[in-house]
Amino acid sequence: MAPLVQIENLRKEFGGVRALDGVSFDVQSGEWIAIMGPSGSGKTTLINILGGLDTPTSGRALVDGVDVARLDEGGLARFRAEKIGFIFQQFHLVAYLTAVENVMLAQYFHSTTDEAEAREALGRVGLADRMEHLPSQLSGGEQQRVAVARALINSPKLILADEPTGNLDEANEGIVLKLLRALHADGHTILMVTHAPSIGELADRRIDLAHGRLAVEHAARRV
Amino acid sequence: MFGRLLWKLLRSNRGRLAVALVAVISGAAVISALLTVELDVSRKLTQEFRLLGPNIVVSGKNADQSVDTEGVGTRSAARVPPEFALSNSATGPESANVAAAAPFFFSVTRVSGTPVVTAGTWLDQLAKLNPTWRIQGNWITSRDDASLSLIGRKAAQQFAVAPGDSIVLDYNGNQTALHVAGVIDSGAADDNQIFVSLPVAWRLTRQPEFVTLWQLNVTGSGASIAKYAAQLAAAFPQCAVRPVRAVTDAEANLLGRTRLLILSMIVLILALTALCVLATMAALATERRADVGLMKALGGTIGRIVGLFLAELGVLGAAGGVIGCVAGVVLAGWIGRRVFGTSIAPRWEIFPLTIVLMVVVAMAGALPLQRLGNVKPAVILRGE
Repeated sequence: MAPLVQIENLRKEFGGVRALDGVSFDVQSGEWIAIMGPSGSGKTTLINILGGLDTPTSGRALVDGVDVARLDEGGLARFRAEKIGFIFQQFHLVAYLTAVENVMLAQYFHSTTDEAEAREALGRVGLADRMEHLPSQLSGGEQQRVAVARALINSPKLILADEPTGNLDEANEGIVLKLLRALHADGHTILMVTHAPSIGELADRRIDLAHGRLAVEHAARRV
Repeated sequence: MFGRLLWKLLRSNRGRLAVALVAVISGAAVISALLTVELDVSRKLTQEFRLLGPNIVVSGKNADQSVDTEGVGTRSAARVPPEFALSNSATGPESANVAAAAPFFFSVTRVSGTPVVTAGTWLDQLAKLNPTWRIQGNWITSRDDASLSLIGRKAAQQFAVAPGDSIVLDYNGNQTALHVAGVIDSGAADDNQIFVSLPVAWRLTRQPEFVTLWQLNVTGSGASIAKYAAQLAAAFPQCAVRPVRAVTDAEANLLGRTRLLILSMIVLILALTALCVLATMAALATERRADVGLMKALGGTIGRIVGLFLAELGVLGAAGGVIGCVAGVVLAGWIGRRVFGTSIAPRWEIFPLTIVLMVVVAMAGALPLQRLGNVKPAVILRGE
């Protein structure tokens, strides 16, 4: 079976700075990959390219058979809407939309909205009683759970999580990690950037980046 | 979801948008009021100009309108043919667009041995024909009154007569005594004349059925008056028909200048409103970069995202246009009362035009949104 994600000799330069320098690896469908490394090692750049938010300078990044580098603006928008679910460290919810509306926003850009489905998604992340709250009325953990519900609402092929617990306290971190574990158990493919080795060890595989290169790739120890 | 997003967008930025909305409402109010006045001003000015007095004079061809001081009313060539008075359809003095008309027969009579121009006319038409004339005493309501006269202010001073007094007119020894009903103040040469009924003038001078000229006060614009004069001239080739150019030309000039002024103001107000909306949206576009970056990350195309903001501007323009139009009705009414002394009726056909103008002007606010097309989600999501 073909890998869901194929990265071949991926390079990305910002001005004269090489953020990614010939990175290659595959991700099988249903895998949970932790991408680790120090700041500036190219983790977020890699996630952004895989999510169609950025384009590589050279090399290939195939997601579900689609070469992201070959997509135009419209194609990238379609790709992001249909194949990717993002979870950001800063949550990135729209401040003037309620929790359920933030989830529906992803539906709106994907196809049509279904409020019942959005409410169900929020119920699954434990926010059944917070649906009409604005982000400013939610805790960090609750906001991140809204982001998780939003990432899942269109059943994406790949979930990209950039430091999903980076802004959370220990209790909320536990809740979000539990959600990620449940997603993985349901067969979702997850690429997660993290600094924390303890979180990285939850993944099936850990990929370490250093100076834009693949430093080491190994199966993580399951906790 | 589109409507929901739009509503939330409008609510979330109500402070900033309120400023733009006030600008659009103000612009729409002034523009709709000006357009209402512009459409009405022609009618109002025409009414105003009609107050200036007769605007068409009809005389006999080759007429010399000077008064014969020898005692004969006018030279025979100056006579207006009687058929003119009899016509009553589209062109004659009784036609629908003639507000007032009267025949005049001028002669020089003597009062206490002093010569004075005496005008025989339809006495009941003088007030209608000359709305600006002021009177001390009373107008005469009977067209052919044989016992009353009106006298010009200067002539009254000269002969030391006042309303209620009597004067004796003498024409080559033929005399008639009349009461003075009123003293008129025209501010013009009419102040030196005495006005009597036509039968009295004809009897006094023994010139029956003699009409020197007709004065007509015709309603309509300068162009329509000129057209009416041409129709008269064609219908009565034996008459010389002359529009009073000073009135009709001044009317046309003033209308043209008023229209230019109003249209210039409308363009200026549109530009100012657009600038205000533009400034508001420029600030909003900067504030919305993060939202746009996120929406792009979620798969939103720039067309769909900017479409939301354009709809927001459309609502702003339409709402401001509707409210402004209602305010414009009030404003137009006020202008009408202040400037013309009468109210101006709302012109409903202006509403859609004003609303469309306001939507177009509000869309000028979309210019800063072009910058949102260049927003890179990756950059925004990094927090830059």
